[in-house]
Amino acid sequence: MGEEKGGFEPKIVGFTCNWCTYAGADLAGTSRKKYPPNVRLIRMMCTARFDPMFAFKALLNGADGVFISGCHPGECHYIKGNFYSRRRIAALRTILKQFGLDDRVKSYWISASEGDKFANTMKGITEEIKELGPNPMRDKIL
Amino acid sequence: MKGTELNYGELEGVLKGLLENKVVDCLILPRRVGNNVSYMLVRDKDKIAAPESVIFAPSFGVNAANIVKGWMITEKVGIVAKPCEIRAAIELIKLKQLNEDSVLLITADCAGAFANEVYAANYADIGDQVDSAKIKELAGKGISIRDACAICDNRLADVGDIAIAQAGGEKAVVAGLTDKGEEALSAVGLSLEDKELERAAEKEKIAAEAKQNLEGLPKISSEEALEEFLRDCIVCKNCRDVCPVCYCKECFFDQPLGNPVGGDLLNLAEARGAIEVPTNQLLYHLTRVYHVSTTCVACGACEDACPKDIPLTRFYPVLAKKVQELFEYVPGKDAKEPLPFTTYEEDELEECLR
Repeated sequence: MGEEKGGFEPKIVGFTCNWCTYAGADLAGTSRKKYPPNVRLIRMMCTARFDPMFAFKALLNGADGVFISGCHPGECHYIKGNFYSRRRIAALRTILKQFGLDDRVKSYWISASEGDKFANTMKGITEEIKELGPNPMRDKIL
Repeated sequence: MKGTELNYGELEGVLKGLLENKVVDCLILPRRVGNNVSYMLVRDKDKIAAPESVIFAPSFGVNAANIVKGWMITEKVGIVAKPCEIRAAIELIKLKQLNEDSVLLITADCAGAFANEVYAANYADIGDQVDSAKIKELAGKGISIRDACAICDNRLADVGDIAIAQAGGEKAVVAGLTDKGEEALSAVGLSLEDKELERAAEKEKIAAEAKQNLEGLPKISSEEALEEFLRDCIVCKNCRDVCPVCYCKECFFDQPLGNPVGGDLLNLAEARGAIEVPTNQLLYHLTRVYHVSTTCVACGACEDACPKDIPLTRFYPVLAKKVQELFEYVPGKDAKEPLPFTTYEEDELEECLR
């Protein structure tokens, strides 16, 4: 089982905000920080654009993990977008918790200057999702 | 709180008085149809007959708030309904789907209700009103109240503008809960005195019973269980249409992206190898439960409306309650309280994010 898990490469969908985390990812790239290629980023203008339906859809379509990342609370480019987003994500995870899927959805705050933090967080989430194993809905007909 | 005690027979006069004195332009009121109960929209006071036989009737057909959803009119509408229905109306006010100034919300005590078809079939046993002892007795005969009512901890009239509370025997206390309510009752010509309608001990007892019933409800505790639970769903979206707080003018699941057909569906099947049809069964319910998670008043109308008899009370109200606990929010308690998703605190919920 352990070996099987070692061979499992998760697919992780990341929803990142244009102003902080996406720029942070850019910085990680330009400073040549390595991070796992399991992460697919989707850029949005603000984490408040993230609709929890996106997470449901990603999971139902077989994504092993979903993360949402944006500016630190209080530092939103649009002043308060990430405060609203935080409430939505908390509600989303409360719903997913009932079905044991909340560990597959995570949220972080990573600023544009935190290239290191971005790379480390990506390493961390990839490890955590590998530990969880494949999404049970991955190969199902849904 | 100001109110007055009336005999059941006098309630008719009060309701007629609301129309006669132009306190409201119309009333949405339950009425008796044979053995059953349904709602009517009344403009002519003479059409009101013996309301005391129906306003406490333990029958649930539709949520009255769903009838007035989106009525942004200036005429004044009075609604006489159960607490869950009035709470839904208050949520609709907050969602800007109902004009606060043009409604008069009148809440009647509820002891728990039977699905209306069950009520009609067993009217001889159930009668015009029930209390908790009678509900237990009926349950012994196999006539049970709805699951949503069994887990309801909020069924005494304490929301809206006017409360109609059962006061034992053939008596009712009619009290104004807001200034608007008190003015309405004065306009009808009732002389109001100070009334105590807190009923804290009774509420505690109801809450304890409800909690026990909620814990007894089968849980959907894994992804597999959820699939199993929704297996029979035909995605007819009846649960959305009857839901008083599901209010989007254009539902995502009526649009091409949410309801793919033809080539779009083929492309999806191509990407995944095979997909379930009717499509988006799980996505629909998960998205909908998120949408109503803070506003769900746990009326159980979704379960009643499901043509495949999926016990949706185990899904919508149960999940919504978890989210409401997270935000310490009670839907329909207060029209002034902001909806959880429209407000925030600067430092909160960090422990819920990963």
